[in-house]
Amino acid sequence: MNGVLVTGATTPLGIELICELIADEAVDSVLAVGAERADRTPRLPPTDKLRYLARDLTRARDIRDLLFSEARELGVRTIVHAAHHRATDEGKKVHRLNVESTRLLLELAERHPTIERFVFRSHADVYQVDHDQPTFIEETHPLRIAARMPQWVRDRVEADVTVCMRMGMSELSIAVLRCSEVFAPNVGSQLHDYLQSRVCFRPLGFDPMLQLMAPKDAVTALHLAVTGDAEGVFNIPGKDVLPLSRAIEEAGRRAVAVPGPLLTPLYGARRFALGTQFRYGLNAWRFHFGGILDGRRAEEVLGYEPSHWVSWEG
Amino acid sequence: MFPTSLARFLLGETQHRHLEQLTVRDAGFGHDELGLNADMVRASAAVLAPMYRHYFRVSGHGTENLPRHGAAILAANHSGTLPFDGALIYLNVLAHTTPPRVVRPIGDLFIPRLPFISTLFSRLGVAAGSRGNVRHLLESGELLLIFPEGTPGIGKPYSERYRLRPFRGGHAELAIRHRVPVIPVGVVGAEEAMAQLTRIDALHPFGAPYLPVPATPFPLPTRVRVHYGEALTLHEGLPPEAADDPSVVSEAAARVQTAVQGLLDEGLRTRAGVFT
Repeated sequence: MNGVLVTGATTPLGIELICELIADEAVDSVLAVGAERADRTPRLPPTDKLRYLARDLTRARDIRDLLFSEARELGVRTIVHAAHHRATDEGKKVHRLNVESTRLLLELAERHPTIERFVFRSHADVYQVDHDQPTFIEETHPLRIAARMPQWVRDRVEADVTVCMRMGMSELSIAVLRCSEVFAPNVGSQLHDYLQSRVCFRPLGFDPMLQLMAPKDAVTALHLAVTGDAEGVFNIPGKDVLPLSRAIEEAGRRAVAVPGPLLTPLYGARRFALGTQFRYGLNAWRFHFGGILDGRRAEEVLGYEPSHWVSWEG
Repeated sequence: MFPTSLARFLLGETQHRHLEQLTVRDAGFGHDELGLNADMVRASAAVLAPMYRHYFRVSGHGTENLPRHGAAILAANHSGTLPFDGALIYLNVLAHTTPPRVVRPIGDLFIPRLPFISTLFSRLGVAAGSRGNVRHLLESGELLLIFPEGTPGIGKPYSERYRLRPFRGGHAELAIRHRVPVIPVGVVGAEEAMAQLTRIDALHPFGAPYLPVPATPFPLPTRVRVHYGEALTLHEGLPPEAADDPSVVSEAAARVQTAVQGLLDEGLRTRAGVFT
């Protein structure tokens, strides 16, 4: 019995991953978990292989029930934990979803009768990008651990470290996939939101290299991690490596370079007026200094290589 | 991007055609992962050609020692208050390798903080000297340019010209670990181009270790000669782990320093004068 539990099932990535898992003969069943009610998830394919459950992962009781009732009944062997708060809101509830749910899922999975593997979708944002750090980022690169970091970053780092700490101590086989920014709508991409404006302000005198990833590649990497047994931390790079100015050009936007200190108030005003998600404070480092994931380990151990270009439309 | 006719005029027909053969590893949008862009290299070579050919009248000696392919490290003396020597070696290597190779100068860690300069340098292939970047470049088969003296090389007083500051061991460590040859490089002429009057140690613009005060507002038109020595295989007979042994590394670095000093001494002995 090879069942897979996928959290974050109603996100665009989650839906694509579930479709791939359903098509995979090695997977017997998929238990999809999302925040939305079942009747609001029309994009999930109707098949006996899939069971969808609406659960609030910020509630410990929901997680406990999920694992020790439905997941046990289905004989879930692998958890793919890909649920995280996509908006840049802050607060306790956000922290509970991003960090506490991860901690609890892992803890419960360790004493679960059928779960053997835990795949965690992490982010390249956990890495420190700065002038004195390598542009080419390996898995051993320093993380952005600092109290001054916004919660959006701190949560991602804490969740990542929470999972990494159990490696070698847990009986679970654990894989952490630190993915490049997935460039698509509704996946929490800061750059995608940034490029929605006709005019994109960028820091004067800086044009760093960015790396972006097509959703399809992220799904491929997660699928490989589910079906394989590789353990450890893996950088999952995207195929698109380009300067910020070129990204703006590819998106058909107009770049205007302004002195760096003006960008925080400019984008703060945009956020306030239009309710957009892009926060310059979250991106200031990578808008000055390049950061490219080194995917050699993922290629050698997982067999992952980026193969899809991002779509610049929409 | 840069007018072809102007590039041809500045570079001359032969060099222009030579640089048309230039290619870089393309990560997908005309740049490599660290930002190197072939068009920017050609444009910069054209813009700097008058300075290179007519002002400093740069010549290359022992250019047959430049590797045509594969990873290697050029280890050069550093001189001249502002690092013009790096640009001159860069252009000299471009001119004397076929197809033209872009040497990847390894710069100080404060360079990425400099507006405009950081972007320009990144397009030309300069990489900040963190271990990760350097390792990546060597594993990608690139030709690195390292100044083992570091900033003290360009920060020394005029009276101590052509007396090398102690070589740091990073280049030797890399050469042993990655099994790549080191080509010693001696630059003669840059030392006199821009002497340092004094330096203000209390000022650190953009994280630079000090603010140099040159004796002249612009570099003098000295004739610059770049001497390339025979490749040193520092890794010969050593396992890669020997790179962790400080005594092995410092001994290897001393070998390189001796070779560079030899090239400088020979270059100084054979040159007719500073400006001729």
